[in-house]
Amino acid sequence: MCQAQEEYGGCDQPRRRPRVSCAQKCMKCKEASPVLVIRVGDAFCKACFREYFVHKFRAMLGKNRAIYPGEKVLLALSGGPASSSMLRQVQEGLSRETAKKLRFMPGIIYVDEGAVCGQSLAEREKTLLQLETVLQASGFPYHLAHLEEVFDLPSSILQRVPHHPAGPKDNYKEAVEGFIRQQRQEEGGGPSVPERQIQEKLAKVSVRDAPGMEGLAAPEARLLAAVRTEQLIRLFGSVKTLTAKEELLQTLRNHLILHTARAHGYSKVMMGDSCTRLAVKLLTNLSLGRGASLAMDTGFSDDRHGDVVVVRPMREYSAKEIAFYNHLFGVPTVFTPALDTKALEKASIHRVIERFLYGLQAEFPSTVSTVYRTGEKLSVTPGDAGPAAEPERCLLCLCTLDTNVEDGSALQAILVSERLSQQKLPAAAPAGRGCCLGAEEQRGCCMNTTAPGADARADFLPLLCYGCRLTIKDTTCLESLPLYVRSEAERRKRRAAMKLEIQEFLLEDEAVTPGES
Amino acid sequence: MAAPMSLLVEFGGGAELLFDGVKKHQVTLPCQPEPWDIRNLLKWIKQNLLKERPELFIQGDTVRPGILVLINDADWELMGELDYKLQDQDNVVFISTLHGG
Amino acid sequence: MPAPCSACGASPAALRRPKTGHALCRACFLAAFEEETHQAIVAGRLFRPGETVAIGASGGKDSTVLAHLLQLLDQRHSYGLHLLLLSVDEGIAGYRDASLAAVRRHQRRSGLPLHVVSYRQLYGWSMDRIARHLGPRNNCTFCGVFRRQALDRGALLMGADKIATGHNADDVAETVLMNFLRGDVGRLRRGVGTGPAGGEGAVPRCKPLRHAYEKEIVLYAYFQGLDYFSTECVYAPQAYRGYARALLKELEAVRPSAVADLGHSGERLSLRSDLRMPARGTCQRCGYVASQPLCKACVLLEGLDRGLPKLGIGKHRRLRDKLRDGEPLTQEERRRLGAPAEGEPPEEQEPRGELGTDEEPWGRRELRGPQDLDF
Repeated sequence: MCQAQEEYGGCDQPRRRPRVSCAQKCMKCKEASPVLVIRVGDAFCKACFREYFVHKFRAMLGKNRAIYPGEKVLLALSGGPASSSMLRQVQEGLSRETAKKLRFMPGIIYVDEGAVCGQSLAEREKTLLQLETVLQASGFPYHLAHLEEVFDLPSSILQRVPHHPAGPKDNYKEAVEGFIRQQRQEEGGGPSVPERQIQEKLAKVSVRDAPGMEGLAAPEARLLAAVRTEQLIRLFGSVKTLTAKEELLQTLRNHLILHTARAHGYSKVMMGDSCTRLAVKLLTNLSLGRGASLAMDTGFSDDRHGDVVVVRPMREYSAKEIAFYNHLFGVPTVFTPALDTKALEKASIHRVIERFLYGLQAEFPSTVSTVYRTGEKLSVTPGDAGPAAEPERCLLCLCTLDTNVEDGSALQAILVSERLSQQKLPAAAPAGRGCCLGAEEQRGCCMNTTAPGADARADFLPLLCYGCRLTIKDTTCLESLPLYVRSEAERRKRRAAMKLEIQEFLLEDEAVTPGES
Repeated sequence: MAAPMSLLVEFGGGAELLFDGVKKHQVTLPCQPEPWDIRNLLKWIKQNLLKERPELFIQGDTVRPGILVLINDADWELMGELDYKLQDQDNVVFISTLHGG
Repeated sequence: MPAPCSACGASPAALRRPKTGHALCRACFLAAFEEETHQAIVAGRLFRPGETVAIGASGGKDSTVLAHLLQLLDQRHSYGLHLLLLSVDEGIAGYRDASLAAVRRHQRRSGLPLHVVSYRQLYGWSMDRIARHLGPRNNCTFCGVFRRQALDRGALLMGADKIATGHNADDVAETVLMNFLRGDVGRLRRGVGTGPAGGEGAVPRCKPLRHAYEKEIVLYAYFQGLDYFSTECVYAPQAYRGYARALLKELEAVRPSAVADLGHSGERLSLRSDLRMPARGTCQRCGYVASQPLCKACVLLEGLDRGLPKLGIGKHRRLRDKLRDGEPLTQEERRRLGAPAEGEPPEEQEPRGELGTDEEPWGRRELRGPQDLDF
């Protein structure tokens, strides 16, 4: 069939990249000579670029009115360019004169993922040392977390905590004004409330959180850490594809950040996703079957956890702007290898999408922003979801479940294909895939339909959204998952069973009554 | 005939991993009949500095999409990109914006 | 020795299904593929008994497999359909001639009635002639817009209640990607439209193969020995869609379920309720569905007829308004709309075939939209 199907004829082709023009003036001040080109052909000089960059951050926070004065905000720092730039913007904002000052109380979290990204202990130490220098220089309280700590998370992390914000959005202005009034009254030369609190925080030595490690002597702690690292490596080893590893890492990292935020009373988490990264994420998640939760995954604010809201204030900066800002204004970054560092270009869905988008962007310079803008048009709530009932949420990502089977849907077709491709009688050997082969030390193979693990898998999958199901399908051994995940799955399963029982009971009851009367 | 010239070539954002983790390289380009521009600097880098996986840095005759180039702290798009004629003591910076380097 | 078939457990497997990862033998695959198509038709309530269904037949693998399957399933499950083949002749020498020959062979074997409508007859322009005016780019825009209407008009002529097209899961997945890459918000949901109401034209459309992988369609055709025509359109390589296609192939190589996963994503997208969507009206000239006063096909045709082929391509709203108001265009403006430079010989007139006379009752000027037909 022809490639230009009828649906696409009506739309215009994106513009190709224009020829580069040299030696123009800054498009803003029309005086200084420019140092970089942003968007399509806008050249900025260094001073105007800085002003533009700093203003954009404040404008983003102001526009969305998401962060209230005095609120505790946790900045998720990876050491990479975008989050490092975000940290600098918060520092800039807090040091401004009163009128333009940001008025929240920042803290920072860094998650050390070295164990699964192929770093040796020595390399991890070195990275942590570099990061700690940056963290200390920031003057903000900070939390160093290790991915290993996910094994000690409570299962409440997978439960949404309903939260009623201080007031509706209309009251934002009031809240800000009230805060400023209060500040003026208190102003007797002493530092303002948040500053004082920050200083109090700083007076304490920074907190190193390690749940489960308190009260342990150093050698014991080290031993436990080694066991945890071992567990983590085994977990990621049981994931068959880099795509699923990426997804799992992201999920676990988010849980750990959420836990830190809850434990320390942060009500917001700031993530440094840039416009470029979000465009990659949009297409990646689209390809991972996460269409239903795109708006949640990439929007400015993400309240899937209820009490702790994730915000993405860097979302209007391109990776290029950020790289230039960091380079021109000396923002320190710490390079840490990722799961896919130096991996083959086609190793994961994430990789393929990134390479594709960057390549297309080089030819059609509006590609990234077009994808990003399209994402902005999406809604967080599924079209037909009633506001009354709290929707069922995915065990792992806490997005609304998108696995209701509708007639004629892609999901239904997949289920039909699966059913038709398997033997009718369940007595025979499992379908094609032998897992856990060569991993004899792991008890209870979970792909094998005859082993008890199969039930675990069958119980597990219905609790997940479409996208997380794909991740778990690529995970050979569910027993390697952290306890909090397994116990929450167990809890949900029990609850569902109980609900069913009660329902049956009620139905029976009803059925009996008319006969008796 | 271009005289030998001295450049400071820098790699950042993870691009340095392809250069043994070394970020700053003080290099001297040899004499050659035609003048040095970014295009043949890239060829020279590929032959002399790149340690592994050249396709992660150079694709075709230009840098891999997602790697930014700054010439003396200015966007190379303002300088003629591949055609920029290098001067002695120029500073050329390559910053990867790709995830995980 | 390959692994045994996961469905029957007896015969050696002949293929691994990209959608589910199962290894099936030939017989089980054919049976599963047919049953899945049937289930998709039933679940989607695509047809009603007694309906006349025009199968958009291009001679390519998708529509050939579709025609074969619909005929087979109609007999097997007594759908009670009147099936027809409907082909569009875009007028692309060497491509459509050969593929139409494949359609004719299919017609002879299947005994289904065939009807061919041509661009030349409907619009007065063949694609080859349009391409000579336009140059190598944007041809797919013309072809796509024209085909959408051509199928509708053909189906109306044949008295069909429904058009079935051979869109497969790969097409759907590409569309989902394309809509994002081009920022086509209006089509985000429509592109994967499921049921009979999914089309945007006059005659309801359905896509019985929209959950079937292209790979499996090819394998099905191969195992069944179906005769189809497989050459890329000579104008296709320039299309932007090629990028999305290349991307999809890479995604599928990394994770074979990606094609279906994109389909699922596309179905579950929800748009913000505060977005303004273009209102749908009808074209002032031909009565076809349109969001502007003139439908896209009429704007494109207007451009061709005025010797300004790029009139309907890109953002030339200001120039379109000028033309509408009868203001003259400058030489530069004419050049931007693709007018040939002065001194170039005028375009030769295309000889009109026996079907292409303006007297035809359904020639394009005369054809009114579906609203005017008792349907």
